[in-house]
Amino acid sequence: MTKRMWMAVISLLGLFLGLYLTLFHYGYIGSLACGVGSCERVQTSTWSVLLGIPLSLWGMGFYALMFILAIAGIQPQYADSRGLSLAMFLLSGWGVLFTAWLDYLQGWVIHGWCEYCLTSGVFVLILFVLSGVEWRQMKSLETEELTAG
Amino acid sequence: MAKKRVDTGRGRKTGVVKTAGSVKSARKSASNRVFYLLIAVVAVGAITALTYASTRQRGGTVTSPIDTTLPKVNSQGYVMGSPGAPLEVVEFGDFECPQCGRFTTLTEPDVRTHLINTGQIRYRFIDFPLDMHRNTWNASRAAACADQQGKFWEAHDALFDNQDKWNSEATSNPDKVIKPLLEPLVPDKAKFDKCVDDKATQAKIQAHWQIAMARQVQATPTFEFGDKKVEGFVTYDQFKELVDEQLAKSGKGAPSVGGDTAKKGVVLPVKPGA
Repeated sequence: MTKRMWMAVISLLGLFLGLYLTLFHYGYIGSLACGVGSCERVQTSTWSVLLGIPLSLWGMGFYALMFILAIAGIQPQYADSRGLSLAMFLLSGWGVLFTAWLDYLQGWVIHGWCEYCLTSGVFVLILFVLSGVEWRQMKSLETEELTAG
Repeated sequence: MAKKRVDTGRGRKTGVVKTAGSVKSARKSASNRVFYLLIAVVAVGAITALTYASTRQRGGTVTSPIDTTLPKVNSQGYVMGSPGAPLEVVEFGDFECPQCGRFTTLTEPDVRTHLINTGQIRYRFIDFPLDMHRNTWNASRAAACADQQGKFWEAHDALFDNQDKWNSEATSNPDKVIKPLLEPLVPDKAKFDKCVDDKATQAKIQAHWQIAMARQVQATPTFEFGDKKVEGFVTYDQFKELVDEQLAKSGKGAPSVGGDTAKKGVVLPVKPGA
């Protein structure tokens, strides 16, 4: 499997993780309680909503976009698109920065860690690394092509 | 000058210089099959899990049995309702817990109107201040101070209604917000202020916390309906269903009566609009 295929799979996993947390946020899955674990605490804190939209929904948007880009990147007509690689690299880079801010909030402001948010953070990091390696390869490939040409 | 394109193994259809022809094509085809299979497995697995989880929730409240050997609740907490009610429902709550606030705002008015005031149940609130909530002890102490003047339930409602004004995300000095919030509710403001400043009710809240721990309470709100307990927010329908189930059980004796407010013969407040 190519890196773009792996990115599509991971984005899809992230998309469903975001869907689970969104359904949890609105009370459709599991009882919301303030418990010994910190996930409920993080999910019910004031930081769990940005501009009136739950963070999990923002996350779903991010993963959906990454999934679409990765699927597009698998198609023959975009297989050599360096722009697509750059877009995925920049998007996942923004995701890494956003995740870092969320981790800071969990650790130093809310004082609780949500395991689902941390899992999502790992997904974003993998996407960032894969898209970074992919972009570098595409760049060097183009350099080779230009040199050869 | 036209660029010379090379095959990157990504399957471009035009202009591809095939180096290993059919072998490479077969590998790519296998790779595609694995990919689409993986996508299908992830999608089907996730949708099945999510559907199961949401159906389970819609099917009813998730209850668990209470270990009958655990220490009983005797006179701890604040009681609302008739001493002669056939069933006592106990809530272990945390004033800073958002879901306890949600229950108080959305469900409890109906519980008071239709179940407590009609004599079907007696309701007991026991503080279970969680470590994660920095300001919750201040709220519990202040509510206990209001209770000294017979105004616990009024303080209870005011604290939950204004949770966002005094919780740990709003202030690092909760007493400064809580005192002016509860002062209008109590007859003797000076006595209330002194009680709050002296943390005079700390031991009482610690006793409440200890009974919650002894009864293995893990989350707030936790509701005990006879031999069953449920964690988290519940709707009025879910609450009533659990009450009806307990009331339908024949030969079940009502738990002990008592509690801080019951002794004082408190008048049951119903929130406006309930």
